[in-house]
Amino acid sequence: MNKAPVIATRNLVKTFGNTRALDGLELEVTPGEVHGFLGPNGAGKSTTIRVLLGLLRADSGSAQLFGQDPWADAVPLHRRLAYVPGDVELWPNLTGGEAIDVFARLRGQIDHRRRDELCERFDLDPTKKARTYSKGNRQKVALISALVSDVELLLLDEPTAGLDPLMEVVFQQCIAEAKTQGKTVLLSSHILAQVEALADRISIIRSGKIVETGSLSELRHMTRTTIEVETSRPTTSLANVPGVHDLSIKDGVSHLLIDRDQMEGVVQALAPLGVQSLIAHPPTLEQLLIRHYGPEAEKDESAPRGQDQ
Amino acid sequence: MTATLANAPVRDRSLRAPLTGLGTLVAFFLRRDRIRLPAWIAGLSLYILYIGSALPAIAPDRETLKSMVTLFAEPVGRMFTGPAFGMDAPSYERFFASYYAPYLFILVALMNIFLITRHTRAEEQSGRAELIRSNVTGRYAPLTASLVVAVISNFLAGTAVSLVSVAVDFPVAGSVLVGAGTALTGLAFAGIAAVTAQLSEFSRTASGLAGIVLGASFVLRAMGDMAAMGGSALSWVSPLGWPAQTAPYVLNRWAPLALSLLLALVTVTAAYVLQSLRDFGASLIAVRPGSARARPSLGSPFGLAARIQRTSFFGWGAGLIALGLVDGAFMQALLDAGEDMPAALQEILGSEELVSGYLAFLGLFISVLITAYTLSAMQTARGEELQGRADLVLATPVSRTSWLGSHAAAVAVGAILMNLAVGVGTGIAAGVVTGQASLIGDSIAAHAGLLPAILVLLALWVVLFGYAPRLLAPVGWAVIGFVAVLAIFSDLLDLPRWLVQFSPFAHLAALPQESFNFTPVTILLVLAALGGVAGLFGIRQREINVT
Repeated sequence: MNKAPVIATRNLVKTFGNTRALDGLELEVTPGEVHGFLGPNGAGKSTTIRVLLGLLRADSGSAQLFGQDPWADAVPLHRRLAYVPGDVELWPNLTGGEAIDVFARLRGQIDHRRRDELCERFDLDPTKKARTYSKGNRQKVALISALVSDVELLLLDEPTAGLDPLMEVVFQQCIAEAKTQGKTVLLSSHILAQVEALADRISIIRSGKIVETGSLSELRHMTRTTIEVETSRPTTSLANVPGVHDLSIKDGVSHLLIDRDQMEGVVQALAPLGVQSLIAHPPTLEQLLIRHYGPEAEKDESAPRGQDQ
Repeated sequence: MTATLANAPVRDRSLRAPLTGLGTLVAFFLRRDRIRLPAWIAGLSLYILYIGSALPAIAPDRETLKSMVTLFAEPVGRMFTGPAFGMDAPSYERFFASYYAPYLFILVALMNIFLITRHTRAEEQSGRAELIRSNVTGRYAPLTASLVVAVISNFLAGTAVSLVSVAVDFPVAGSVLVGAGTALTGLAFAGIAAVTAQLSEFSRTASGLAGIVLGASFVLRAMGDMAAMGGSALSWVSPLGWPAQTAPYVLNRWAPLALSLLLALVTVTAAYVLQSLRDFGASLIAVRPGSARARPSLGSPFGLAARIQRTSFFGWGAGLIALGLVDGAFMQALLDAGEDMPAALQEILGSEELVSGYLAFLGLFISVLITAYTLSAMQTARGEELQGRADLVLATPVSRTSWLGSHAAAVAVGAILMNLAVGVGTGIAAGVVTGQASLIGDSIAAHAGLLPAILVLLALWVVLFGYAPRLLAPVGWAVIGFVAVLAIFSDLLDLPRWLVQFSPFAHLAALPQESFNFTPVTILLVLAALGGVAGLFGIRQREINVT
C-alpha cells in the first residue's frame, strides 16, 4: 500500500495583516486514517483547511495533498476530496435536495440510491428550501453531499456543529464506514468524545503551530495518570516522593497525579500505607488539551495567538 | 378569560417597552452610516453646486437659455425631466427646478430605500438583528431607529439642498421649497421601503420592491407631465410628481408636499402594522416546498450561476420591458406634439428626426439601466464569496476562473437578452400605436447598437472582481452614476470632451439617428474580451473571501 502521506505541510506560515494565523505548521495525515485536529477557537484550524483547499495561499512553507500543490492543482485535487465547513451557507431559494445534487454533480456522478439512503439516515427533508433550514439541517446538507461523493479524502471542519446527539451517532457511523472503505479523514472538532471514538491519530494546534501529534495512547504517555487512593495511614509523606503532583486529601481519599515514568516508585511508597481502595485512570483527552492550551500552557509560551478564518 | 386578566399587567408594561433602547440604536445606526450618509448629502450638494455654476457658462445670455428651454419643454423633454413650469420666462433657477431637481428627488428616494433596507431587513436576514432584539431592546425599536435616522438624514439633506441653492444665487423662497421637497420625498420613500422591508425575507427583494414603486412613480410622472405642460392628473398620482408640482421659483406652492407627508405617515403606519403581524425574520409571503432533486441543468458551474442570477434577471427584465412598452406607446403622442411645434422647431427636428432621436435616447436610457443590472448581478456573485457559498463550490472540482467566468457569462447573456427584449418590446409598442412596422427594427437597432458598451463595463466589473473586489461596489456605482449623468445631460452640462470620452456609450453611433459605425463596435468588443480575460486571470491569482 502506498504510504506517502495524503496531507503533508512543512513549516506553513499564513499571516493576515499583523496576525500570524499559521506559524510554521507541520501536519501529516497518512492514507486511510481518521486524523483528529484539535485546538481552541482561533488556533488556525479553519485557516489550515482553507489553505489545503487552495482558497488561501500560504505565505511560506509548503502544503501538499496527495503530493500535489493545493493552490496550483486545486481542480484535479478537488475531484478526490470533499469538504464540510463548520458554518454551512446555502442558496436560500434552492431546496436541500437540489443543493446536494449540485455539489455531487460538480464533483462527478451522483449515486441517487446512496443519496436517498443518507437523507433517510440523517432525517433530512430534501424538498424544503434552504432558507427554512436550521443550522443543523444546513450542516446535514453539506455532510450528505460530502458522504455521497466517491472521494478519497474528507476535510471536515467542525462538521457536526449544530447537530443533535442522535445525528451525532449517525455521523460517527458514517465516518466509521468511510474508514472501512479506506477513505482518509481530517476531522477538526471540539467534540472530544467524537474524536476519541473516531480518531486514529490526533494533532493539537495552538497559535498556528502543531504542539502535539500522535495516537491517543501515545499522547497519554506524555501526561500524568490520576490516582484516587484510600489508605489506613496518612498519605502526607507522599508529597515528597519524586513524580507525585497536586496531592490533596478529602474525606480520607487522597487525589494525586503521577508522572508515568515514576509509577513504580510511587506504588512502592503507597504499599506500606495500607491501601484499602485504589482507582487509577489515564489522562482524558480533555486533560491533554487543557495541558496544551489551558491557562498553564499560556504561561509557558508567550507566542501571539492566531485567528481562525 | 382569567388568563387575559392575569396577563393584563404584563401587557400594560409592554405598551411602554416597544421602544426600549431606541436612543442607543439611533446612535449606533448613525455610527454605522457615518461615511455613507454624509457622502450622499455631499453628493446632492455638489450636484446643485455644479449645475448652479455650469448653467451661466452654458447659457450666458437669455437667448441661449430660451433656445435650450424650447427643446426641453417639449413632451419628450418633459417626460424625462418634469412639468416645465415658468418656461415662458426662463431663468437659471427655473431651469434648475424644471430639469435637474426631479433627479434630485430620485436620488434622495434611492438614498432612503437603501438606508431603510440596510437597517431593517438586511440586518434581519443576516441574523445580526437577532442579537439586537434578544438584548434589552423593544420590538419596534430597530424599525423606529431606522426611521429616526431617515428623518435626520432627510432633514440634513433638505437643508443642504436649500443652502447650496441659495449659495448659487437662487431665490430663497424657491430654494427652501426645493429643499423641503427633497426631504419630504425622501421621507415618503423611507416609508415605502419600511413597508417593503416587511414583505420579503430578503433585503434585495425588499429594496427591489421599493425600487419598483420608484420606477412606477417615474413612469406615472413622465406620462402625466408628457400629456400637458405643467402636468396632468397622472402627475398628481406619483410621489415624484408632488415635489415637481410645487413649481419652485414660479408658483412656490407648498400644498403638494402635504401629499408627500401624508404618504410618509400612511406608509410608516402600515409598516408598524405589518411588522406586528409577522414573526421576527419571517415575511408575509409564505415559503413553498420545492423539488427534492436538481434538474440536470444545475449540475454545471454555468447552470448554477444562471440559477443564482435568475431571480434578479427576471425582476430587472420585467421592469425594463414594462418601461420600454410605456415609452414605445408614447410614440404617437410625441408625433402629435411634434405637429403642434413651432414651425421653426419642426424644421430643426422634423418628424423623422424626432422619432429616431427619441428611439436613440430610449436605447441609451435602457442600456444604462441594464449596465446597472450587470453591476448588481456581479455584486450577487461577490455576495456568494462573502457569505461562504463560493467556498463550497470551489471545494469541488470547479476552478476559480470557471466560477467567476460562469457568473460573468450568465450576466452577459442576461444583459444581451434584456437589451434585445426591451428593444423588441419598445419597437412593437411604437409600431402598434403609429402603424409603422419599421419602428421595430429601428428600436432593436437603437438598443442592440449599445451592447458593446454594456459588455465593456461588465468586463470592468470582472476586472475589479478579479483584482480589487472591495472596490467593485464603490467604483462600480460611481461609474454608473457618471455614465447615467452623461447619458441624460451630456448636451446640457457642457462637459469637457475628454471627460465625455470616458463613457463607452459616447463612442457608439446613436442608432437609428446616426449611421452604424463598425470601428468603435470592434474596439469595444475587443476591450470587453480583454477585460474579461484579465479579470479571470486576476481571480486565479487571488485568495477567496479573505476578511
